[in-house]
Formats: sequence, C-alpha cells, structure tokens
Amino acid sequence: MAKVVLTSASKNFADNDIRDAVSRSFDLLGYNYPEKIDTVIIKTNLCYYWDYSTGETTDPRIISAIIDYLRARIGDDISIFVAEADATAMKTKYSFKILGYENLSKAKNVELLNLSEGEIVEKQVSIRNNRITLPVNKMLLESDLVINVPKLRTHNLVGLTCSLKNMFGAISKPRKFSYHKNLDAIIVAINKLVKSDICIVDGLIARGKYPKKMGLILAGDDALATDFVVAKILGFNPRAIGHLKLAEKENVGDVNNTELIEDKTSLKEAKKLFPGSSFLLHRLSWGLQLKLLDVYLKLSGDVSPPFLKA
Amino acid sequence: MLRVGVIGLGKMGQLHFLNALHMKDVKLVAIADKSKRNRKMVQRYNVKAYDDYTVLLDSEELDAVIISLPNFLREESIAYAAEKGLDIFVDKPLARTLAEATRIAGKARKEGVRVMTGANYRYMDCVQRLKKMLDEGRVGDVVIATADLIMNGPLGHGRVPTPVPEWWLSKEKAGGGALLDLGYHLIDLMNWMFGDLRVEYSSLGYRFQLPVEDGAMVVLRSGKSKMNCCVNVGWFSKSIFPDFNFRVNLHGTVGYTSTDNFAPKNLRLYAIKEASRNLLRKATGKKLKYLSYTYYYHSFFKILELFFDGIQKDTELPISLEEEIDVIRIIDDVYKRNGADLNG
Repeated sequence: MAKVVLTSASKNFADNDIRDAVSRSFDLLGYNYPEKIDTVIIKTNLCYYWDYSTGETTDPRIISAIIDYLRARIGDDISIFVAEADATAMKTKYSFKILGYENLSKAKNVELLNLSEGEIVEKQVSIRNNRITLPVNKMLLESDLVINVPKLRTHNLVGLTCSLKNMFGAISKPRKFSYHKNLDAIIVAINKLVKSDICIVDGLIARGKYPKKMGLILAGDDALATDFVVAKILGFNPRAIGHLKLAEKENVGDVNNTELIEDKTSLKEAKKLFPGSSFLLHRLSWGLQLKLLDVYLKLSGDVSPPFLKA
Repeated sequence: MLRVGVIGLGKMGQLHFLNALHMKDVKLVAIADKSKRNRKMVQRYNVKAYDDYTVLLDSEELDAVIISLPNFLREESIAYAAEKGLDIFVDKPLARTLAEATRIAGKARKEGVRVMTGANYRYMDCVQRLKKMLDEGRVGDVVIATADLIMNGPLGHGRVPTPVPEWWLSKEKAGGGALLDLGYHLIDLMNWMFGDLRVEYSSLGYRFQLPVEDGAMVVLRSGKSKMNCCVNVGWFSKSIFPDFNFRVNLHGTVGYTSTDNFAPKNLRLYAIKEASRNLLRKATGKKLKYLSYTYYYHSFFKILELFFDGIQKDTELPISLEEEIDVIRIIDDVYKRNGADLNG
C-alpha cells in the first residue's frame, strides 16, 4: 500500500517552520529505510534559472531541512548529493549558483552532482512494448536512497509536473527538448529505470495560474501515488494526465490502495487554495496566438523577432 | 544604394539583419558569424556568409557595417571596420569601460568614420511622446525623475529553449551585468533629456550570486537642471510579457507624466490593432510600420533606419559618440564606486 502525507508549514515561512514540517512529513510517512545507507541522492527541480520565489524551482530551504532530517535519522556519516542534470537551455553549474545551491552545499557540507557529467550508462526499458534507451548517471542508479523533491505546479505541456516529471529532468542528456515528441513515454521510462524511494513535494510556493504561498509539503513513498494526490490538489483528474495514465498502465506505482494522511490541512482545503489554471486553455490560447502571428507574418511580410522563432 | 554587412548573428544581429532587409536603398551584402547554423540561415536571402568578420571586411566592398558581437569583441571589431573606412552601427553598450569607449571614439575620429550605438529606447513611442511633453514645458521644470527597467536580461527563455551565451555571465567578457545591459538605456534616456549627469548614490545587487550584478539602483543629479533621478534596473524578473516592466516618470513644477500614460495597456490587443493597421497599409500600397505589433521591437527598426538615413543623406547621426561616452562614464563611475570595475 502506498502512503502519502499532506502537511503544512506555517505561512510565515521561517526556516524552523519549514524544518518542522519536513520532519513531520517524514515521520508520518514512516518510510522503511534499508539497513545500510551510504549514499543519498536528492533530486531537485531546477528546470531553469528561475528563483524559488517564482514557484518554478525547488526551494533550497526544503533541501536544507531534508538534509538535516536524513542526518538525524540515518547518521551524520552518510554521503548526500544534491543532484540535477543539464537541460536544453539550463546549465547546472549556473543554476546551482544562481538558485542558492552552492551556498547550501557549503553550509550543509553536501556535494552538488551534475547528472549530465561523470559516468553515464545507457539503460533500456520497455514502454508500450517499445524499447526506449536513456542515458542515466551511474551514481543515480547505484545510490542507496533517492529522494525526489519536485515542485507543486502546473505544466504547459503535460498538465502537472511533479514526482514523475521531475525524474525526466534526471536524464543525463542535456538536450531533452528532443524527447518532447514522446514525452509521456520518456517520463514513464525514466521512472521505471530509477525508482524514487521518497518524494517530498515542495508546495511552499505553488504555481498554477500564478505563484502562491501555500506552505504545503507532501511526502510519499510511491511517486505515482504522490502525483495522483497532487493532481487532485491542482484540480485535475489524474487519469486524464497522459503520463500518469501511462505510468499506471505500466505499473510504475500503486494508486489503488493509497493511504492519505492529512496533517494540519486537507486535500479539500489545499485544492481550494490552489490557483488553478487550465493547461489545455493555456495551450490553446498560446497556440492560437502563435498561429495568428504566423498568418500575419505571411500576409504582411513583417519581421518576426528572433526570440519568437519556432 | 548602401552596401551593408552584419557582423554577429546572435538574437540581436538576426533582428538587425531582418530589419535591414526591409530598408529602402540598403543592400545587405554579407554577414559573418562563427555559427554554421546562423550562416546557413542567411542563404535564402542571397547574402554571402563568412565565419570570420575580418575576412568579410577584407573581401567585400561595403559602405557600412552593423556590429552585433559580444561586449568583449566590440573594440577590436569597431577598430577593424573603422580602418576599412566604414560607418558603424553597434549594439549597446558601446564598450565595457570608459577607457575602451574613449579608444573607440579616438579611432573613429582618426579614421573619419561615424559610429552610432543602438540606444533604441529613445525611439519607443511612449518615450518620444514623453520627451515631446518635456520639451514643450508641459510638466514644467523636472525636479525628480525615476526610470525602471526590470526584465530577465540574458536569462530570458525563448519560444525554443536555447542556452544562455556564457560570455554574459563573465565579468571580464561582459564588462558588467544589469547596469551595463539595461541601465545603459535608462542612463542614456536621462542624459538625453537632462544632460550633465553625475552619480550621487549607487548600489549593485547580486541576488543570483553571479560574477556580474543582476540589479542596480543609481541616483543621478543633473548639474545643468539640478534634477535628481533614480534609475532602477534588474535581470531578476522571470517574465517580460504580457507586462513590460519599463517606465520613466517625470515629476515637474507643473505636473507629472509617465511613459505608462502613453504605453499600451494590453500588449495583446495592441498587437492585434497594429497588425490590422499594417495589413491595411499593405493592401493600400503604403509602407509597413515594421515590428510595431511587438511595441518594443519597432524601436530597433526605427533607430537602424535613422542610422542609414543619416549616412545616405550625409547628415548628423541622431545619437553622438560623445553622448554614449557620457553614459559609459557614469556606468564606469558606478562600477568603480562599488569595486565592480574590470580592475576591481
């Protein structure tokens, strides 16, 4: 049976409040840790150089709280790596600096790991009976514990981006834009290859139609079950989200027997507070605007600024 | 017919290239860019492409050149083009430092060529209208002015994701951050409107902990008009659309005015309106107002057009090198005061 905890930090976002909420979510989750843990990888969500206050990237204070908890729970001698891979437009060496992770690394004595560097292994997996090969960092595959720390936010391409989609960002290949044509299958494939042992969802500042300080933290021992709960908070039917539907079909997780623990808040309240947005409407609206632009440019012969170039 | 070359086909270079294609009595002869992809892009326009700008300048008979290279290549490329006797349109900033700017001006004088910087904000419609009100005395004597320009700078995310060119994040190569990039425009506007500016106070921001500043606040005083102005710039904002965070506010002895009063309230509706007008112009055989549907980018078209016009008619260019050296002098002063100059 999968377990998901939904809790809340107080709204003033003091470091202590965040630490308490993270600690409480771990305790309530009651994860059954393996006996021997030497290395832990914490996968952040640093999709671009957008500050955590935008609601787009993982708040370093959550990572700090996770590190404190793990050291207290497992031991001071564990090696903790805070990880992210390069993306099409984002270089980890800059995002770690810009988003405050270099400072965190020094303050907490943890290493920063660029998943696009070091030993990369080509791994194969079958999705819908098709073989998919993905490059994955060997350290991620061999880590004793993978903690997945996604954001609570909507996504223009896939509806929501949470635990499963965050692991898409762990694929070593920087130019992941090339996977977008087959996005659902690739998301499910990487999650079949790398299991998130624990998911801690950063909903301190959630982002839907706009960013909102919600102070939410979710913890789950099953990435798919966690995403199902998050989808409900965001106002989606989880089975209407392509990659969640496919992940369920591919047995990436168990969503039929999820125990949801609501602490200091409830799913209903969280859903009410979330600034929902229709990603379908957003895509249609942008799609229509860009189509109109293309038609206008063809008819008029006007110039298109290069940043709008498809 | 002016024979023109374009050096550097990054985002700005591409914009100048596309704009120049639509200009009267201008023939784009050749471009130079290190990127094969960018060189390939111009093939369909029947324009020659070089991978080395010195080869382009050695090989082609040109009258003028547009230089859109990274900041650290400004001086050497301007010097090379000047030695060929070409008039030069160059992206802002004119230089990374006052010393560089002074050498550029000296070289231009020595070679007898004209250099104009792309200080395009002067040609935004809302700025033109504000300047007109100021010149007509409708706000009286301006005592206080504020100018803001907050956007994402080089950290912007295009329609298709592309990596940020790394030179932007190098102090040595870029020469500075948000102040040199965005502050340049605002200080140019203040200098153009009031002149004789001196730095009273300045502060640089490093929220992103980059080697260059991602924010700046500068208080300037005009010795001529005794006006005080505060310039605020930043690269820290995620988005620039649909809200464009730029404004100049003038507080005078008669009243108050702002570029916000003249800027479109809704950029989407404005785009539709301008696009419709252009289609009408096209249908009636009139000249298009290029890029007006974007509001902001039309100013780039206008400034380049004015540069070519000045060369063709052999009249004074609308933006002088002396004015641009004044801007660099102020920025240089701010960097020195904050220990952020290239030698700091």
